[in-house]
This record gives sequence, C-alpha cells and structure tokens, in this order.
Amino acid sequence: MRVPGLVFANDELIRSIRQDQSLQQVANVATLPGIVGYSLAMPDIHWGYGFPIGGVAAFELDKGIVSPGGVGYDINCGCRLMTTRLRADEIHREMKELVLALFRNIPTGVGSRSPIRLSRSEQERVAVMGAEWAVKRGFGMPRDLERIEDHGAMEGADPSVLSERAIQRGRGQLGTLGSGNHFLEIQAVDAIYDPEKARQFHLFEGQVTVFIHTGSRGFGHQICDDFLKEMGRSAFKGELPFELPDRQLACAPLSSDLARRYLAAMACAGNYAWANRQILMHWTMETFLKTLSITPEELGMNLLYDVCHNIAKKEMHQVSGEETMVCVHRKGATRAFPPGHPLLPEIYQTTGQPVLIPGDMGTHSYVLAGAAGSMERSFGSSCHGAGRVLSRTQAVKKAKGRAINRELEDKGIIVHSRGKHTLKEEMPEAYKDISQVVDVVEAAKLAVKVARMRPLGVIKG
Amino acid sequence: MAGRRKCFTFLDHTADLRIRITGPTLEDLFRNAGLSLMEIMLGKRPRLKTSPQHLSVSGDDLPDLMVRWLGEILYLLDGENKVVMDIEINAISEMHLDAALHTVPLDPRTHQVITEIKAATYHQIQVAPTGNGWQATVIFDI
Repeated sequence: MRVPGLVFANDELIRSIRQDQSLQQVANVATLPGIVGYSLAMPDIHWGYGFPIGGVAAFELDKGIVSPGGVGYDINCGCRLMTTRLRADEIHREMKELVLALFRNIPTGVGSRSPIRLSRSEQERVAVMGAEWAVKRGFGMPRDLERIEDHGAMEGADPSVLSERAIQRGRGQLGTLGSGNHFLEIQAVDAIYDPEKARQFHLFEGQVTVFIHTGSRGFGHQICDDFLKEMGRSAFKGELPFELPDRQLACAPLSSDLARRYLAAMACAGNYAWANRQILMHWTMETFLKTLSITPEELGMNLLYDVCHNIAKKEMHQVSGEETMVCVHRKGATRAFPPGHPLLPEIYQTTGQPVLIPGDMGTHSYVLAGAAGSMERSFGSSCHGAGRVLSRTQAVKKAKGRAINRELEDKGIIVHSRGKHTLKEEMPEAYKDISQVVDVVEAAKLAVKVARMRPLGVIKG
Repeated sequence: MAGRRKCFTFLDHTADLRIRITGPTLEDLFRNAGLSLMEIMLGKRPRLKTSPQHLSVSGDDLPDLMVRWLGEILYLLDGENKVVMDIEINAISEMHLDAALHTVPLDPRTHQVITEIKAATYHQIQVAPTGNGWQATVIFDI
C-alpha cells in the first residue's frame, strides 16, 4: 500500500463492512501509483468490483493513474431532486393514479425504448452539450443548468474517441430510467434538520418532492467496457510499471494518450446521463400536470440539484499543505463542496452544495449540504446511499413467499415495477440503515443534514 | 435447448451477481456461460425460429476470453436487440474462440428482462480445469 486506507463508519457499520471483501478493495486501491492522502471509503461502502462501492481516491496528475473501474460501468450514475409547491396531503387520493401514469410515461426496465431516437450527429451533440442539449429541445428551462453539477456538461467530451458500439447502445436509450436500483420516487419531506438551509433550498415539511436515480445507460456501460479492455490489454503486455492487484483495476497513467481518450469518452457518458435525467424530469412534470389537472404555477416543480456519484474529475485539493490539481475518483460517492467553493453557483455559495442521498423504496432519502470537513478529509466527497447489506440472492431468498409491493403499500408506499424479481432484490431489508450512514457523514463534518423525505410512490425497472 | 440442465450456481456477493459455471469440456464451459447469462437476464425464453450468426472472439488468456465472450453476448442483446437462444462452440483455444450463435429478435411482448446486467467484470474472474471438467467464476455488474 502506498497510502493508508481510511473508512468513515461507526461500530455497527464497520461490523457489516467487515463481512464482505470491501476492505481488501480499499487496500487494493491504495497500491495504485500516484495516489495521495488516503484510499478512502464512505460509510455506505460495500463490495464492488475493482474499487469498493463508496470508494474515493485522488491521484497526482504527473505520477498517477485513471481507472475506469474506479468510476464504474454506469458513468455519472446520479441523483436529481425536484421540489414542488404541493403538499403530500393534497395529492394523497391521486397517488395511485399518479404512480401508474409515471410508470406509463417514463420508459423503465431493460429493453425499454425511448420515444427519442438520436441521429449520430445529435447523439454527438448530446455527448458534448449534456443537459443543455435537452433544454434547447424544450426539456426543462435554462435556469435548470446552474442547478446541475458542472452545469450539466463536463468539459473535454470528445465523441471522436467513442466506439461504434457505444454509439449504437446509446442511440435508443436517452430518456429511459433503466433497471436494478434505479428509480423515480414521489416523496414527502418529513423532517427538517437545518431550517435556514432548508429555506434556501425551498424545502418545507409536508412538501412533495420527486427523486430520480439513474445514469448513462448502455452508452456508459459500453464506454467503461471498451476502455477497461484496452487498459487491461496494456497491463497484460507489461506496459504498466507496476503489478495490478485486481484485473478490474486496469488503469492508464494520467499523462498517457489512453487516459486522455478515456476521460474524453467518460465525459461524453457523463453528459449523456445529465441529458437523460433532464428529459426524465420534464416528462415527470408533464405527467404531474396532466394527471392532477393543475397549472405549472400550481405545481411549481423546480430542480433543487443534480449530482453524480460515479465519476473521475480533475479538481483542486490540498495535498501536503499545497493546493494541487488531482484526479478524484468517486465510485459510489457524491461530491459535497462546502459554502464558498468557487465551483458552486451563486445560489449555493452560502449553503454549500446540495448532496442528494437516496434511500431505497421503503426508507427515507436525505438532502445534505456540503461542509468544510469534506475538503479537509475526503477530497470534497460524501456518501451516495444506504449501501447493500444483503446480496441480491439473499434478498430474493428472504423475500420468498412475500408480496413486497403489498408490504410497501401497507406502509403507504405505492410501487410499480416491471417485475417482482427487482422488488425482491431491492427490498428494504437488503440495505443498511441509511440514517446511520448520513449520521456518520455529519459527525465527520463532510456534510450537514438539511431534510429527510419519506417515499410515497416509486417506479422501478 | 430441450432438456438442458442448469449449469450455473449463484455465489454470494453483496452488490453484484457472482456465479459459478461448470462444463465437462472447455467448449461446454463457454457455451454454458453464454446460455447462463441469457437465462439470468431473461429467464425462460420462448422457442422461436432462430437466425444463425458467426462470432469470433480473441483474448489475452482464458479469463480475458471469458469476459470478452460474455461481453459480446451482452452487446448483442443491448446493442442489437438479439437474444441468444443456442450456441455451438466450433473451435476454442486459450486465446480465441469461434462460435455459431442462434438468435431471435428481442421482443418486449415475448421477452421479459428480469435482471439487467451491465457487464461481465474481471474482478476475481477464474477459468480453470477441475478434476472432471472445467469451472469458471464470474462477477456481473448489475
């Protein structure tokens, strides 16, 4: 190990963390060249492939590496939260109808096709422009852009480095939610922890919010796959001056052309994901308006923020007491910049960046705000969710004979999914207690709790 | 595929899907791996008239060949909307395989994708002979 590992956790969480191989993965990441500070893990850490999920690592630009496995297949998998003027008790009676209408209007599940078909040149524009492409085509408003990490478009995206396969897989999937742990959820704010920040975020108790969790779909999966294979081949031929502890950690020196091409392709997928969530937000708004027969003013749906939690970015951080540009990998970790950070828009300069932490379909989600401790301890990062505690096969076994959707309905949560299998895999008991995860984040001063939301209705693939 | 026995088992993994595949020969192992992937994603597939397709895959060694092979089958589904119904491995070595695939178009009316798999990963990949055949362990990102 070139640097120590550092895991943010409490006694109970560390007991469950020790039960899988994620700590070994923290150690593996610590062996990669050019890593600075610590090989970090957030309290929602669990066993992934290559990097642990919940892993954060920063690398020097001249001696370090970039690893597609440190970003993941779902590049810019992320979250978006919309606020409304509605109160939960005002739409209680229409909730079933609303969830069903969302399920009909938002393509979910594998093989679901978007009504948007992209020509090659349009797809390349999406890859470069990101959310702005969607806004220019009438999906949302220009004011949304400052409420998206990187204004919804990473710099350096270059479609000329993409494979034909990536283009092909991305063609019909813009405007789709996907499957697995991805979801769209109607929620009610049920706790406010920081009234002043909540006011600035336009959050109030009883308010209806909508949470979207999805990413870059097959387009991002293919880009990760393409570059892992290319970097893996280079490692196999002995072109890396060190030994990889895990083939999934295949990487390239940041100074190499291969790294440049990967980062350019990764940015394309990141931008595609932001366009995707922008489009899904627009269809969600349309569905609310039509189903509830209300005006846009009455609905008052606004974007609070959009964050990514699978990405690699060049950012300025303190390394050995000096401001240094490093490449921060966040795999299942959310950026959490504090008040006053130069990359935050004016509206969040005094509050810190909104940090969106999804629960699963049966438990709460949280809005946090980035705090100064994140810059001191975690390269400006925070957790990204609850983190699994049961494997999917264990979850399916535990759910045998149970009607998960009925159990959720008994708790006042309406769920529509393509199949019962996903519901069982994603059952609430499969995840850690999210309140413990965010409490650890707050205790470590990476971010502060602002509000909590409980689920009312969920659609899943 | 009539009478084909299940040739994979689920192993534990917190977030993703880890399976063990077996086969009496290397050809069988790769065939079983491809068909297991389809079974996990789609469950039982209705028997429809298939179209043949040739596929060649090269890798640096057997584990790499396995990841690339499964990646090809995944791409056919997600990129070209083709469901692999059966596989014949015509030739295989440590670094190359030639296969004939029999596919049908993915049709949401007849196919339900029950598990989305993003990719076959290299993490802890193993392909090795056993006392009485071959065995592979693969983790899929889902």
